[in-house]
Amino acid sequence: MTEVVRDRRRIGVVGADLPRQIVLAAGASPERLFGAWSGAVSPRASELLGAVDAVAGRILDSILAGEHDDLAGLVICNDSQANLRMFYVLRVLAARGEVPIPVQLLDAPRGQGAAKQAFVVAQYTRLVDFCRRVTDADIGVDELRRAGDVEQSVSDALERMRERRAQGRCAGTSALNAYRAAASVAPEAAVEVIDAASTPVGQGDRLFVTGSGHPDSSVYQELERAGATVVAEDHDAGDGGWFAGCSTGESEADVLVGLASLHASRPPSAARGSTAERAGTLRRRVADTGSTAVITLARDLDDAPAWELPAMRNALAELRVPFAARVQISADGALSASRDAVTALQEKDGSRR
Amino acid sequence: MTEDRLAAAAAATRHQKAWFADTVRRAQEGEPIALVNADAPHEVLRAMGIPYVVNQWWASIISAKRLGPTSLEHLAERGLPDFSQQYDAIPLGAQDLPAHQRAWGGLPDPAFAIAERSGDVTQKIFELWGEREGTETFLLSRTGADPVPSSWWEKVPRDWEDAFGADRLDLLQAEIEELIAWLSERTGRSLDRDRLARIMDLGNEQAEWNRRTRDLIAAARPTPVLVNDTMPAVMVPQWHRGTQWAVDTARALHDEVARRIDDGVAVCADEKRRLMWVGRGLWSDLDMYRRFHEEFGAVFVWSMYLAIAADGYPRYGEDAVRALAARFVGFTDQLYVPPWSAEWYVKEALAHGVDGVVHLVADDTPGAGFISEALEAEGIPVLEIRANNADSRSSGSARIPERIEEFLRERVPARD
Repeated sequence: MTEVVRDRRRIGVVGADLPRQIVLAAGASPERLFGAWSGAVSPRASELLGAVDAVAGRILDSILAGEHDDLAGLVICNDSQANLRMFYVLRVLAARGEVPIPVQLLDAPRGQGAAKQAFVVAQYTRLVDFCRRVTDADIGVDELRRAGDVEQSVSDALERMRERRAQGRCAGTSALNAYRAAASVAPEAAVEVIDAASTPVGQGDRLFVTGSGHPDSSVYQELERAGATVVAEDHDAGDGGWFAGCSTGESEADVLVGLASLHASRPPSAARGSTAERAGTLRRRVADTGSTAVITLARDLDDAPAWELPAMRNALAELRVPFAARVQISADGALSASRDAVTALQEKDGSRR
Repeated sequence: MTEDRLAAAAAATRHQKAWFADTVRRAQEGEPIALVNADAPHEVLRAMGIPYVVNQWWASIISAKRLGPTSLEHLAERGLPDFSQQYDAIPLGAQDLPAHQRAWGGLPDPAFAIAERSGDVTQKIFELWGEREGTETFLLSRTGADPVPSSWWEKVPRDWEDAFGADRLDLLQAEIEELIAWLSERTGRSLDRDRLARIMDLGNEQAEWNRRTRDLIAAARPTPVLVNDTMPAVMVPQWHRGTQWAVDTARALHDEVARRIDDGVAVCADEKRRLMWVGRGLWSDLDMYRRFHEEFGAVFVWSMYLAIAADGYPRYGEDAVRALAARFVGFTDQLYVPPWSAEWYVKEALAHGVDGVVHLVADDTPGAGFISEALEAEGIPVLEIRANNADSRSSGSARIPERIEEFLRERVPARD
């Protein structure tokens, strides 16, 4: 068996709660493991995780297959039930030596309040220690500030991309790929990819996508092939991702408190946010982005979006924006579900006219 | 009901009906009542004199009246999923059913719905309760199980700071204080902290009786009680935790079990194989637990309900609110999060001298295979069965009795 050489400059992440600045301060680059919309999940991954979103199973399979063994470490966010289960499983397997990557839980509950903030700051402090340990880097306030600037450059590039998208100069598929680069390659390279994201858009519906996260752009391609343009989304592989730098503060603790404050004010996610907040955010963003239709696509066993449907339907009815939803999407049913949903919207559009 | 039924089990069931009728009456007279998740800090409500109904218990009553499917259909009619976390969702669907379809006459609308944010969906269900006229929702955080030091059952009664970590406790303690303030604002009642401390003491006393009962059963040969009898005898008083009645009932169960042992009572006359049931109770076929007595001399001596009541609840400490946070901050971690789950089941299997384990694998928990693996590593054969414990269609198609028979024949030799 060949010994895998660990790359101290890359730390993997599952989920979307990572304050990337902390990893960057260690001289490493965060590399998000996304999984995929389609593909088999092995019986072993299914057995280990129990009944969860297949995307988590695909990520676990890639880890069990050794595809990420060269990472310096792996941070798993408690931002969904599926990801938390993955942490529990990998913690056991890592302790047994069956998975060679050091694994760390990042548990950052959303929302305001001093107690939550203190808990999140304590989690970030542990994350700093973990990054020091797996990279052998010194992390102090100077490194954190510099990393904050670097992260802000990614955030700024994404803001420029969102402006192009709003102006109809960047299609949803390109935007999603840019977000993917932002989350998984080194910042300088990511900025180049993001700034290059510029594609003509179609004349069909301006679509807002909510529901499950999109681990790859295959569904966006399908939606846009059908004539729509995805102009915005709230899932964490797109606009709901977290790219924010905090370069102020006199001490390490100040910077971590600053990051915790930024985290607390993030928009709500399906798995952790309240339905009322989510529906309110959707209504505001649909209006702001000039979206002409909304689509929810929720995978089987990723149930949180299904509980939001009546509230979202009501919120959109007030705006007179048509809405199509497909839930319990099977492991290989994403493309057909997205085609069905677009067709349903087009039929509604036809009947409106 | 069997001729072997424990008097404590029958008494508990009778008490529950009378208690529910009284709770309904109080609500009808205008008292605010609460609907709570099983892992919410009930003791606060008890200390503030607010009657509460546990969501999961209420779901079991609705299901037992075969109103689960109708309740779920009602959710679907509202555009909500009928396929997601059904057990927790059934009471929400049942709440608007017509009077003739309401179990035990129906649950009065609660003033408060209180839950922790476990999983992705519980908070959504409880949020929907809060949208109903006259009901408000309060949600508590549910942090991940990290750290997980070994032998949790030795640590959690007193060394809970180490067992769960101060950060997790700080957060939940602060949120319980917020809950107390929230309830005070709405009821005009303040929390008597001495009363809460007394309630914690009573809960600990109840757990101590359960521990003694569990230890008696672990050491007894032959086994003196049916597991399907200890389930209600333990679980009904659990929902009354912190009362003298619950302590007295736990003690009565202990004394009854002790008497049976002294009298040489055997639920299986010719006990040759001692079995452990890992997983939730098979509510759809409780008689299954005694089906292997005659042919195989095989008797189920263990289920988690008494054992977790013994090990999972005791929390001693000067600060009652922090001790209460310690009771709930990782309650389900004890049962379902590896490696804690596997370590505990092994400890219990060895203490009870079991010859084989039937593991009803839950698909809503991670790493169930680690439990089977750990038991097999101790030389204890395990039969894994995948089925829904509450759905008779699922358990029927899993051929549970037939597979247990095969397991007994092939892997669990009879004792001499």
